[in-house]
Amino acid sequence: MSQFLQVLLSGLSTGAIYALAAIGFTLVWQAAQTVNFAQGEFVMLPAFFVLIGLHWLHLPLWLSLLFGLAAALLVLGVLFKKIVVEPMLPNGGMPLIIATMALSILLKEGVKQFYGAEAQPFPSLFGQTTMNWDGAIVSVQDVMNLVVALAVVAGLTFFLNRTRTGRCMQACAQNPGVAQILGVDIKRMTLYTFLINAALAALASFLISPIYLAKFSNGETLGLVAFIAAIVGGFNQIRGALAGGLLIGVLDNLTATYVTTEYRAALPLVLLIIIILWRPQGLLGVDEGRKV
Amino acid sequence: MSAPVLAVRDISKTFGGIRAVDGVSFEVRAGEILGLIGPNGSGKSTLFNCILGQLRPDRGEVHVNSRAVSGRRACELNKLGVGRTFQQLSVFPQMSVLDNIILAGQEHTGTLLSRLFGKPDAGLTAQADQLIDFFRLRHLRDEMAGSLSYGQQKLVDAAMAFMAGPSLVLLDEPAGGVNLTMLAGLKERLLTYNREHGTTFVVIEHNMEFVMSLCTRIIVLAEGRIIAQGPPEEIRANPTVINAYLGG
Repeated sequence: MSQFLQVLLSGLSTGAIYALAAIGFTLVWQAAQTVNFAQGEFVMLPAFFVLIGLHWLHLPLWLSLLFGLAAALLVLGVLFKKIVVEPMLPNGGMPLIIATMALSILLKEGVKQFYGAEAQPFPSLFGQTTMNWDGAIVSVQDVMNLVVALAVVAGLTFFLNRTRTGRCMQACAQNPGVAQILGVDIKRMTLYTFLINAALAALASFLISPIYLAKFSNGETLGLVAFIAAIVGGFNQIRGALAGGLLIGVLDNLTATYVTTEYRAALPLVLLIIIILWRPQGLLGVDEGRKV
Repeated sequence: MSAPVLAVRDISKTFGGIRAVDGVSFEVRAGEILGLIGPNGSGKSTLFNCILGQLRPDRGEVHVNSRAVSGRRACELNKLGVGRTFQQLSVFPQMSVLDNIILAGQEHTGTLLSRLFGKPDAGLTAQADQLIDFFRLRHLRDEMAGSLSYGQQKLVDAAMAFMAGPSLVLLDEPAGGVNLTMLAGLKERLLTYNREHGTTFVVIEHNMEFVMSLCTRIIVLAEGRIIAQGPPEEIRANPTVINAYLGG
């Protein structure tokens, strides 16, 4: 039982970080009706901004984290929208999707060339201590990762549902043309969406890098798993992305512990196939009518 | 005579080699209900989109309440008192009827801070409820807008257009797809609102019975140009209009 608890909590912790990245897919889908295939690299990059703050600028950790967040907001939020999304979006969704694939390669290879191919240690935000919970040895970092990620998702959900700006962002996602006619500044709302996505990616980066280290290739697996989590949970629902992330995190850990580690990487794909066949809109997704 | 609420001056718009709107000029006075009719492809919707800033005209100017609005974004026009309903359904499907109507008015109230982080009802629930009652949508108030029938969504769309207290409302085929009972109710609501608030309407419509009984003046477009204008009874009898649009 204690082992099960340990595995469950560890899975929830990893899953919560997947969920932060998966929510990014959902947000970008809602704002630009496209899939950001650089999302994994969006999670990889902020850790390197922090390392630049720590090792090159010799800033303390808290200031390096702020520096990393600010750089992420600028590069992954403002510049991504201005340089990639806005010029490409008028040409339709497909060119933008291809542009994000190119961006993914650019970011990955850029970090490799600029910072190095070696995995870099990343300081833990919550220390390396453990605690005994009913016989189960639980990492404080795992618990805090889960708590922070869930708190951020709860805060984001509150913001989107309980504030005027959040309501306007939803309106832009559901019917941008009408929202504009009603006086909603779509450009501003889209910018907010990309800034939130950048902040979530930065947070996911700060939480996962102490576990997997900071490496230029981290985005490959993370991006794929988060993409699958978003589809499994429901691509157009934040709560769906959360559910998908947690589900994959837990199933991954349970499979590795109780079944086999050999096929753990295949598990999200199997889950994806099952969900697409059984419920194409995802577990919590809403069926969307599309004009052709 | 008071200044026109809407003045359209020499608007032209071409798409490739096709001249969709060709030098159209007209004015609409306060409280007037103007109908824009014409066959498909006559330039009505293009003209609407030019007026609302959704298309940039090649030539010409649009003035709303004596202010030049050409080149302004649609969201700015809304703040200048211009509302619009849509030919196709235009509600936010995953929001309730009440939330749809509140959202239509919320960008017009409050400080920057309250617009950013204020509660979504924006203190507008009572006003939205008045419109819900006015358009007889009380029983649907908390339903998701996407779950309503086409005609019901048209009523929600109309209520949304009035939420910001506009001086001018452009109605794009309000009767399209609406059943006869609901249509009679919609016409009666529009006339009542016009009478009580003095709001000016410009209506694009193919339903001749509806447009002739609603409007005080009609402009007929064909191939991007005005071919006739006048009171409904004159338009009905105009041989050019009969030939180009109404038929024998």
